[in-house]
Amino acid sequence: MLFFGLAAFFSGKELSAENLPFAASEELADEKLSESGISDKDIAVSDDEEEPDETGRTGTEAEMPLVKDTLQPFNRAMFTFNDKAFRYFFKPIYTGYNSMIPVQARVSVRNFYTNIRMPVRFFNCLFQSNFKGAGTEMLRFVINSTVGVAGFLDPAKSKFHLERQERDFGQTLGKYKMESGTYIVWPFIGPSNTRDTIGLVGDTVLDPITWVSYFFLKPIESIGNYTYESVNDLSVDTGDTYESVTKPAIDPYIALQDAYLQNRMKRIKE
Amino acid sequence: MNKRKVISSMFYGVVLLIGMSPFLWAAETPGTLVMETIDRGLTVLKDPSLKGAEKAQERRQRLWKEISPIFDFEEMSKRALGQHWKKRSPEEKKEFVELFTNILKDAYIGKTDTYSGEKIVFIKDKQDGKDYASVQTKIITNTGAVVLVEYRMLSNAGKWQIYDVIIEGVSLVNNYRSQFNNILMKSSYNELVQKIKEKNGKEAT
Repeated sequence: MLFFGLAAFFSGKELSAENLPFAASEELADEKLSESGISDKDIAVSDDEEEPDETGRTGTEAEMPLVKDTLQPFNRAMFTFNDKAFRYFFKPIYTGYNSMIPVQARVSVRNFYTNIRMPVRFFNCLFQSNFKGAGTEMLRFVINSTVGVAGFLDPAKSKFHLERQERDFGQTLGKYKMESGTYIVWPFIGPSNTRDTIGLVGDTVLDPITWVSYFFLKPIESIGNYTYESVNDLSVDTGDTYESVTKPAIDPYIALQDAYLQNRMKRIKE
Repeated sequence: MNKRKVISSMFYGVVLLIGMSPFLWAAETPGTLVMETIDRGLTVLKDPSLKGAEKAQERRQRLWKEISPIFDFEEMSKRALGQHWKKRSPEEKKEFVELFTNILKDAYIGKTDTYSGEKIVFIKDKQDGKDYASVQTKIITNTGAVVLVEYRMLSNAGKWQIYDVIIEGVSLVNNYRSQFNNILMKSSYNELVQKIKEKNGKEAT
């Protein structure tokens, strides 16, 4: 499992338009700039004190749908746990790892894992009837596995300009009109919601690493593998991303939740 | 003869004006303004005489001087407080702008300490009506990752200023608005101010 769904964060678990609580998606398209118009409008809407997670967002309606966070006490506890795990366990490890391993090597390790996970993106492209994307993924896999030395390099991107297709099962479910459900924070995985959690299970099934772990590795070895991958990812950039969201925040829990949701919405637009 | 000279110089003057106008105009666009500001910021970060941890304070100050004028902190504060802004007295507003500016300053100027040659590339800018614009840029990190950064700007009497920064779809102002709203739903405005002050205090040390 990727550590701290943050990986999900930038590396793109997409959430699809349909399942947003309301018209957000359509509005977003033509909204973009006209949102700027909210300057006065949004303040004008004021004065109505509503319910916690449903309000507050006046003025941003178009950008931010209602946040369904019925599990907040649990989520906050999980957030605290993850934050502590990050600060006192993962961060010291990856800081040391950083100082020993040059960045190019770390990026290569990430490329290797990304290449192995091709089926996840390939099948999700297919599920979403994105045949061009599926073709791109197939080509990337062939190029990177051979010329790219078993996936450690990414010549498909650097030489052939074939971009990775960030497609996941949560997004696929969304395309089939599944509701996003409530916000959930999982230990180690981080921010998610009901639909993306099911999506994560789907992706785990599609992930060759799961199968390799299941058939060939002892539990302790798979844990080691996942931990190593997480540490490597954190050292490349997810650690920084996490900190740049939570550090300047007044309420880091809400900051992370909001960043997760906003980032997902952007992915819908793409 | 004399008349001719006047006419010809007028002619050249006009030609020069027409020829120059795109440049004059270009200097005013939100896109060039943002990029120039970023370039000035990068110059400070790259300045060899300001390198190193011991120069951090000086470097941050210089950087702040270069880039802060392009931000409209009052507008950012107003948007971050959203519906609650209106209920504040002028003094409270003033205090809030100051506190919020500090939060942003500490958070984002501090991040530049780890600058290590990331490139910032202009993608495009778009103007919406007379007063609003967005400038899209991307940061290319050393690992080759691309981070999209969009600046939302508005024109204050002809002066373009940034009122929001959107990083990978995450609006800075909206992010703070979510936090502030959440706090204000459970506690009073004074408690919010207290929390921000605590945060500022922590950052300062």
